[in-house]
Amino acid sequence: MILLSLSVGLPWVIGAVFAMLNGRRPWVAWLAVAGLAANFLCISLLGARVLREGQVEMVAGDWPEGIGIALRADALGIAFALVSSGVILASMLYEVILGVRSRTFPAFMLFLNAGLVGLFLTGDAFNFYVFFEISMAASFVLTGYRERDQQVRAAFIFAVINLLGSVIFLIAVAGLYHLTGSLDMEVIAQRMSDAGSAPALLIATAIFVAFSLKLGLFPFHFWLPAAYIGSHAPVAAILSGAVANIGGYGLLRFSGHIMPEQFETGAVVLLALGSASIVYGALQAVSRFMPVEVMAYSAIGQAGYILIAIGIAGSVGYEAAVLYALVNSLNKGLLFLATGLRGPLVGAAFAVGAFSVAGVPPAVGFVGKLELFLASLTVGGVAGSAALVTLVFLGGAVSFVYSFQVYSRIYLRPRENPGKPDPAPARVLVILLAGLVLALGIWPEPLLVLSDAAAAALSGGAG
Amino acid sequence: MNFLISLALAIIFGSGAFLILQRGLVRVVVGIALVSNASILFIIAVGLSRGQPPIYPLPEEASVSDPLVQAMALTALVISFGVTALLLAYVYRLYLAHGSVDLQDVSRAERREAEALERGEPLRERGDERQEP
Repeated sequence: MILLSLSVGLPWVIGAVFAMLNGRRPWVAWLAVAGLAANFLCISLLGARVLREGQVEMVAGDWPEGIGIALRADALGIAFALVSSGVILASMLYEVILGVRSRTFPAFMLFLNAGLVGLFLTGDAFNFYVFFEISMAASFVLTGYRERDQQVRAAFIFAVINLLGSVIFLIAVAGLYHLTGSLDMEVIAQRMSDAGSAPALLIATAIFVAFSLKLGLFPFHFWLPAAYIGSHAPVAAILSGAVANIGGYGLLRFSGHIMPEQFETGAVVLLALGSASIVYGALQAVSRFMPVEVMAYSAIGQAGYILIAIGIAGSVGYEAAVLYALVNSLNKGLLFLATGLRGPLVGAAFAVGAFSVAGVPPAVGFVGKLELFLASLTVGGVAGSAALVTLVFLGGAVSFVYSFQVYSRIYLRPRENPGKPDPAPARVLVILLAGLVLALGIWPEPLLVLSDAAAAALSGGAG
Repeated sequence: MNFLISLALAIIFGSGAFLILQRGLVRVVVGIALVSNASILFIIAVGLSRGQPPIYPLPEEASVSDPLVQAMALTALVISFGVTALLLAYVYRLYLAHGSVDLQDVSRAERREAEALERGEPLRERGDERQEP
């Protein structure tokens, strides 16, 4: 109970205090890191409890159940909250080591963390929208961080497109309320099966479009390269490793838990769009030159794998989707942080991340790809499952090509003008992250347990 | 009533969508504001029921209209207000950088940078274009 309110409330309070302090001062920035770390610890403790005893629930303000707004931590929410706030913590550490340039940066990192954790742990559909907007507003500001012209442009595009997505989601939430007469996700899930199929399908479509925009899936991806390429390295890591999780989590929560029947009707669309994303992202990534560009397009392809796993559905599909989303966050966080650095051993860290994206053992990406293979095999019909397995395999092969291309172009060639290497602590941080990616690949048990529990929470809630 | 509300909603949403597709950045922001207001009107429409205002003490026998939609609409209003202000700040910042609020000027600058990127030049530091009129 207290852990749940601390996880959601702590970054709020600290963020509000830090909004008034000058974030460029090192002591302020380090205190913000301490706040984020404390929050991360709270979420880990809460996660341990959720895994041990099952879902933790709290109704705000001591209202009776069904009237007050509920916070509900289940394994799915905890898994995403843990990885997202981990990526935010690593990016914050990175930026503090290199020197914060804006007085509001630490405060916005805390607000972003507050919004994301709240979103993953809320049990109320409208509250989901509110937390979603909080984290989006913070990330709009963070995209423009450093205020180079191209960053401001990227932030403007990012903000306009994502606001449209938020409006669509808000309309969908209002529609859900009209159909079911409740905003509590559990109640909506129970009453959804009685709702008429036409309005429910419309709402499911609106939700799918809104979250696909966040995740950067193929027909909705157009804002993504501009935003990722323009923004500063740790911000790109956050956008890709933490903010994009909103899309993955939202799709999983709404498709697996709240409206499984409607998403099952559209499973073919999910599989087709996912495949298109994989092909498009991989081909674009191969043809690009700068590492940041390659990774931005690769993010579109990786989102496609998550969508395919969601389209496969069932406990195997959801488990693969959760695992792949978590692994992808780690990979992308590591890669975007590594592209911002220069100096010895950074290349090695980048290589670990790149091979993890390609799914080469012993990196953790291999585990994600393996789960996805297993899930593809369960698809009904030999032709369908053969096509999916081929696609996943080809996608992996192409991602190996572009990862190695970038690696050889940037790190295997002697630089004409090597420049000064970045400070050692930042490089140590990136190398530690790479070590984590390797360690989780060698001992994937914790990740597997987490994603298994998350999938169980999804299908258990649906019944 | 239902028809009127849906007509109003359609007109507001349509005008907003039209404005978002315009070239002027200020128009884009106004378009976003209109579209989010259309969604707020939709929330209100969702709870459209005849009844007494839900103010305490509640009338005994008469039905009361849904108070929850009004709380939701208020929250959504505040959010869209804040985000519109943020967008306007970005437009001002773009105006400072490019001396124009026309999307074409902005995208021209973007194309120049994309070409530089393709030639393998590093991205320029801030303020390079500020000198241009």
